[in-house]
Amino acid sequence: MDAFWIIVTGFLVASSTGMLGNLLLLRKMSMMGDALSHAVLPGIVVAYLISGSRASIPLFVGAIIMGVLTTFLIQFFSSKGKMQSDAAMGTVFTFLFAVGVILVTKFAGEADIDADCVLHGELAFVPLQTSSFLGLGVPAPVWTLLGLLAVIQIIFWTGYKGWLITSFNPEYAQSVGIRTVLWHYSLMAATSVATVVSFESVGAILVIAFLVVPAATAYLLTDKLPLMTVIILIHGLISSTLGYFVSDALEASISGSIAVMSFVLFAGAFLWNKKKG
Amino acid sequence: MTDPNVRYVVLSIVLLGGVSGAVGSFNFLRKKTLVGETVAHSMLPGVLIAFLLSGVKNPYILVTGAAISGWLSILLVDFITSNSRIKGDSALAIVLSSFFGFGIVLLTMIQSRYTGNQSGLDHYIFGNAAAMSPEDSVAFAWVCLIVLVLSVANYFSLKAVIFNPDYAKAIGIPKKRIDTLISFITILSISVGIKAVGIVMMSALLIIPPTAARFWTSRFLPMLIISGIFGGFAGWLGAFVSYSQTSMPTGPWTIIAVSVIAFLSMLFAPKRGVVYQRWNKLMLKRRINEENLLKAAVQNEVRGKGKLFNRAAISTRQYFEAKLWVRTVRRLTRKGLIKKVNTGYTLSTKGRRYGAEIDRRHKIWEVYLQRRMQMSVHLVHDEAETMEHFLTPEIEEEILGELGLCSRFNPILEIHELVPDPELS
Repeated sequence: MDAFWIIVTGFLVASSTGMLGNLLLLRKMSMMGDALSHAVLPGIVVAYLISGSRASIPLFVGAIIMGVLTTFLIQFFSSKGKMQSDAAMGTVFTFLFAVGVILVTKFAGEADIDADCVLHGELAFVPLQTSSFLGLGVPAPVWTLLGLLAVIQIIFWTGYKGWLITSFNPEYAQSVGIRTVLWHYSLMAATSVATVVSFESVGAILVIAFLVVPAATAYLLTDKLPLMTVIILIHGLISSTLGYFVSDALEASISGSIAVMSFVLFAGAFLWNKKKG
Repeated sequence: MTDPNVRYVVLSIVLLGGVSGAVGSFNFLRKKTLVGETVAHSMLPGVLIAFLLSGVKNPYILVTGAAISGWLSILLVDFITSNSRIKGDSALAIVLSSFFGFGIVLLTMIQSRYTGNQSGLDHYIFGNAAAMSPEDSVAFAWVCLIVLVLSVANYFSLKAVIFNPDYAKAIGIPKKRIDTLISFITILSISVGIKAVGIVMMSALLIIPPTAARFWTSRFLPMLIISGIFGGFAGWLGAFVSYSQTSMPTGPWTIIAVSVIAFLSMLFAPKRGVVYQRWNKLMLKRRINEENLLKAAVQNEVRGKGKLFNRAAISTRQYFEAKLWVRTVRRLTRKGLIKKVNTGYTLSTKGRRYGAEIDRRHKIWEVYLQRRMQMSVHLVHDEAETMEHFLTPEIEEEILGELGLCSRFNPILEIHELVPDPELS
């Protein structure tokens, strides 16, 4: 049963972040996951200092606020400060991460925060957080992620037209009165919420992978949005399943293995695509 | 700062900051700013495989492993972008997550199998600035030297490939070799630096100094130098803060220092800085208002409405809000272009000449648009309303020459010029 819940968790994360990854891919913002995974650190530390506990809700709120703030800062630097957009991203997230590390050393003393994995989600712990519901032992993260998936799906399908037009043809969108900046911020806000929620249960590295790899795989194989969605879901399911069994055999990190498997699927699609010409 | 050990750490960080700043500029200018982030993460599996194969924690072997897997990651990014429609940033994210994921897999495998002698392996990735030794500063000095020699030796090829790849190709500069060169120095500095300062600090040193330097110059060599100086100076500041405060980490303070440099550059750099640009815009707006007022006053005089004017009189030609009127008039009075007379204002000789000049430029542009651009009479006025503020005497002369008019041409006396030319119709 543990295996089942772990795979389900991986699948749920892949399907919500993958949908957003689709849009990030078009906007050339795929490194956002990596940026957010570093940038939320000060939010977590400040939330910890204010609440004085390691309870997950306050830290989570801190991370989300910081995530949204990060996206605003990046946009601000690149539009108002005229920074190259990838440079703006790099500057903002490394700066925020440094602030976080300094806060940790200053206030939390010898706190055990790893210098690179900001949020240690580990998939192996998911089945341990089981709560009983209708006679079924469903782990709490699964409920959270199900909720997230529902929200993301609703947001995606109501907004995708706006996001597509503002990604492909921002000048045209602007000229017909679509507020491109608003669309940009709403996508970024959705991305930061989705990533932070997912960090907690699967860890930063898998979220970074799932934000880009399934979407890139689908993008190699098709142009049609519904088909892309299906490919993203299948990709998430297969890589979670394979990754789990590989990690089981090797006694290695589950998140890491799933990330690697997800790349293997991408490589397959890549080779198929190349062979086809 | 007298402890020799401390001096070594400071020296190392300054050298590393300087060299990364310069190396980062190459990637920055090719719009591959985040490549350092991916390469730095991708070194984890290399370090671990080198450890697994050799069984010892020899720094040379581990750094070689890091460099090899960093190199593979760059090759893979290039391969993905040149063989599919996946864009650069997505390729970077894909490679980063898969290499780092693989590294995590290896790390957890090693942790579950070996006991004892594997500890400290993650320092190769997460950094441990406090443990920097004299050998580290020697290593950084070597890296600086190599990067310097290679960049000087290939200076013109680098410049050509970065700024004008088509031209570089045309004169036969091997782009592949220059790409490899840039990858080589990037990997060299990251693989040597990462043990000391960690992934994030290494990416920051490659990303932020060029970003800051870009606000100060748009030329190649100054960019490299300024970026290097920013990196080195930030390293010194970071080391300074971490030693003057107890138990403060060097790396993060270096990042803070260099980010502050970048923010200040963004705000206050001449020409590109936000403050300068805002100020420039404000000055332009003021100048346009002043010129519009003077022009309207002159036109009123020409049309025989008297030399005295007030807001109502000017607003028949050019609307001025009450507040704007007060401010503009105050500035013009101070400049001696208009004078206050008991019931209103009047132009000074200087002001009249200035206003007439603007009106003249307006007319010249109208004539030009009609004759050369074949624009309709009804459209030329609006165009000329903007252009009159931007025509320089040099352009004016050129236009007159092109229209075959002498420089004493006075369009105010030639209003009939605006009637369509019979020759053209």
